[in-house]
Amino acid sequence: MIRRLWALSRKELRQLFASPIAYVVLTVYVALTGIYFFQHLVSYNQLLFVYQSEGLTGANFDQGTVPSQINVLNEVFVPSAEDFGLFLLVVLPLVTMRVFSEERANGTDELLLTSGLRPWEVAAAKHGVTYLFVLFLLLGSAIYPAVVVTRGGLGMEHLVALYAGQLFYGCAVASLGLACSSFTSSQIVAAVLGYAIPFVLLDFAWLSNSVSEGVAAVLKEAALLSHYGSFARGVIELRHVVYFAGIAAFGWLLSVASLELVRAR
Amino acid sequence: MAFLPAAGLIMVLVGVGSYYATRSLHGMSAFSSVNLALGVLLVAVGAVAQARRFRGFSGRESRRVALRWAGLLVGALALLIAVDVWARALTARIDLTVDRQYTLSAQSVALCRELEQQGGAPAELVFFEDALLAKDVRLLVDAYADSCKSLELRDASRREPPPAARDIYTTTATTVIACRGEVCDPVGYPSERNITNALARLTRADQVKMYFTIGHGEVDLASEAETGYSGIAGLLRDQGFEPQAFVGPAAADVPADADLVVVAAPERDLMPEELAVLDRYLARGGRLLALADAGQRSNFYAEFLPRWGFTLDDAVVLDRASSPLLRDPKPVNLLVHLFAPYNPVTRNLSQRTMVLLPRTRPVDLGRKPQPDDKLDRAAFASQRSWISRDVSRALAGNETEAPPDATGHEISVVATGRYPRGGDEETSEHEARIVVIGNREFVSNRLLDALYNRDLFLNAVRWLGNDEQHIALSDKGWTPNQDPLTIQQTLGYFYFLAFALPEALLLLGIFAWWRQRA
Amino acid sequence: MTAKIEARRVSKRFGSVVALDELSLEVAPGEVFGIIGPNGAGKTTFLRILTGYWLASDGDVFVDGVSVTRDRFKVQATLGYACEQPRLYGDHRVESFLRMMGELRGLGGERLREATSIAVTRLGLESVLHRRIGVLSKGFRQRVALAQALLHEPALLIVDEPTVGLDPAQQIELRRIIAGFRGSHTVLLCTHQLHEAEMICDRVALLDRGKLAALATADEIRAGGSLESLFLAKVGTSAGVAQ
Repeated sequence: MIRRLWALSRKELRQLFASPIAYVVLTVYVALTGIYFFQHLVSYNQLLFVYQSEGLTGANFDQGTVPSQINVLNEVFVPSAEDFGLFLLVVLPLVTMRVFSEERANGTDELLLTSGLRPWEVAAAKHGVTYLFVLFLLLGSAIYPAVVVTRGGLGMEHLVALYAGQLFYGCAVASLGLACSSFTSSQIVAAVLGYAIPFVLLDFAWLSNSVSEGVAAVLKEAALLSHYGSFARGVIELRHVVYFAGIAAFGWLLSVASLELVRAR
Repeated sequence: MAFLPAAGLIMVLVGVGSYYATRSLHGMSAFSSVNLALGVLLVAVGAVAQARRFRGFSGRESRRVALRWAGLLVGALALLIAVDVWARALTARIDLTVDRQYTLSAQSVALCRELEQQGGAPAELVFFEDALLAKDVRLLVDAYADSCKSLELRDASRREPPPAARDIYTTTATTVIACRGEVCDPVGYPSERNITNALARLTRADQVKMYFTIGHGEVDLASEAETGYSGIAGLLRDQGFEPQAFVGPAAADVPADADLVVVAAPERDLMPEELAVLDRYLARGGRLLALADAGQRSNFYAEFLPRWGFTLDDAVVLDRASSPLLRDPKPVNLLVHLFAPYNPVTRNLSQRTMVLLPRTRPVDLGRKPQPDDKLDRAAFASQRSWISRDVSRALAGNETEAPPDATGHEISVVATGRYPRGGDEETSEHEARIVVIGNREFVSNRLLDALYNRDLFLNAVRWLGNDEQHIALSDKGWTPNQDPLTIQQTLGYFYFLAFALPEALLLLGIFAWWRQRA
Repeated sequence: MTAKIEARRVSKRFGSVVALDELSLEVAPGEVFGIIGPNGAGKTTFLRILTGYWLASDGDVFVDGVSVTRDRFKVQATLGYACEQPRLYGDHRVESFLRMMGELRGLGGERLREATSIAVTRLGLESVLHRRIGVLSKGFRQRVALAQALLHEPALLIVDEPTVGLDPAQQIELRRIIAGFRGSHTVLLCTHQLHEAEMICDRVALLDRGKLAALATADEIRAGGSLESLFLAKVGTSAGVAQ
């Protein structure tokens, strides 16, 4: 089983990086995160200079007194982390859309599923490699914490929490995209579904005013963003880890179901 | 028909996306609603059409497999929800912040134990989910809820605060209110220290002792006349403070149990011994609230306060910006709406929470007694204000225009001082503090309930008499870096992060792809 | 190694369309068995049920007594399948593809190297070992498909339309290879080429509209004239006229 999984994973990795999409996605993600990080950095700089010169109300503050809440963690890194989460939502469906649907379209799913492979193995390899790609994406943006850590703005452990959150969140979003891809042979349909479902699940604020309080509370608990914020602030909460792991697991199960249900046509 | 669900999904996406893009301007727009509604409809129609095309399972075995997997998926979903609920109930977490910002300190935990052992009305924290700082504070509030079993946590909206909290004022920065029974205390900046101190104030039997100097024409706490101050005395008692009289000439020293001393606008000189008592009290980390008024002369303003870095000219502040809505909109009645946003006395006041200070003395900063002392101006009259040294004429309302040579600038009417004295500077356990307000009438019975007058006074009292002497909670020690980057550094990061690194990745990708193709 | 196949009243329905209608047949171990029929006869459907890719609506197929419906993984471990219009990974090189398929089949180390070497030699893939599958000619892609199906020395080899689109030389070569498996593997050959089935198969089943229209040995076919005449007699032309 291990040998099969390893062979499948290598195949998936090769296929992933055989396509230019992977490189384009990596580049776009790193560029986007870089640009937005820069914007936050510039705003933070400007805010500091304002405080250190005349002060916000035009009154004369003590020179050099900057409130402790104004720091590179709160003003640069936490907002950046929130942006990065949104960018993952934008780029990941471009990667997940082809993973299963391309196999179906080319007919290579028949090759795999008649070779003695269990559908769960096929799905596990595909999901695993996609999660690895999410890790590559995050490593590409890891330059920022290196900058902040060297300037004393963040602790290493806090960094671990922050990236753990992005990894869990990214894997959950990727898993949903993979599940969508597994139910269709069209990459376009897979992409549309891969955008629509995570986007709708992101935050149910658009619906909460139209439903009762109890339903709104349930929707809030189900929303992706509700579970993301604490990681950026340096806290790993079990319930959020369980939530994201649960979504990833359910997405994997949906993929397995889709492969099994090919038989039931 | 396959087009319909795809089109529907796209419309849902556009609807949700347009909502997020514009929700800060207004809620759900008609454009978003129409897209959402139509999108859902198209998806539903497409799903029904697809279902109608279903020709049944191809056989018994296919049906068995399909139903088995349907059951598995439903079961898995139910299991995931159950596990999620279980995990939520466990509230397990790992705080990886450098200073364990979201882990309660031993003192806070000890207060929680006290709460559990106490009877009476339960204490609760009201958390405003839609406050500006809510996202930052949520984790800390959850930590209280997890550690303090007898503390209730209630989520609320600023638009609909709970009844007990409606009477106390809140600003956009107010995120947490501590309540016990009918009494509520708005926590200033929602740090662990302030929340714990607020809870302690509400729950501890021993009250904060305030000593008011008497015998020099100061305010009369017993008088119920319009010009009296019985209202503020009652308010202080409700808030857990115990105002008492302090007879200066008869006392060799400020009582040892004094948490703060109030010198409320003396009209006559204090005796040198009395000033010396106050000096000694402050030198050992005491807390002083000084109220002044225009037109009063006392060595307290001319000698004592300047020793501690404050300058109170014998003048009155006039401001053309006083609102015509006031019954007496003379320039001498200041509508103060400019506050230092990070001063602890005024940080939760803003341009929308004005304070009425009639006949106010300017309070400015002079020379610091010691280099490490920190003096700040906290509240200001508007840019159209000026100072008049013809006090009697100004107080009579006869000065309505600024003199031609007056330069418009905000004039400070409230100031604060912090003096590390007699103890560990880092924990501020023995830090002396002074608040000087250039007016006393604003908390008279007549004006106590006007605008946000009581809040300015209570803020000052809380800051001065806070529980740092009861709960020595030091601020979490680590402060993230604040140093600004130079322009070169900022640009360097930008070129690397936004251009060089992506470019390198793209080139690497092209190279890898070409190698595979070759 | 060889295997015996037994199909018992296998049916497959897609809604109201009956692709297979109670098909029953047996394939003896070591036999080269041909399945022919017009388009839509159910040939590929039967192969997909046999390989476990699809479920039968009714009936079952047994490979050495093992039910495909109940135990498809055990059956798949004993079969190699080269499908019609080979479904291969175009971005892989031949060598890495064969190695991957061998690993997926549970081979490793020396055994994998040996099996790959044998498959490459058997199918004449030495010259294209390091080329990408996507740029190979159709003939070579068919050979790669066959090679991956043979790596694990399956008892049952299923080949679907192997010579479609090949030039005559390639067709001859491939038929020779397939015929060479007689005795060492059970071969199920699905083809449109009647003369091909006639040339290499021990027995031929003729499917028409999901049913078994005829089953004949090579001798019976020769005695009856040709497979074409049998086909026409049972199925007719595309105009529906039996001759």
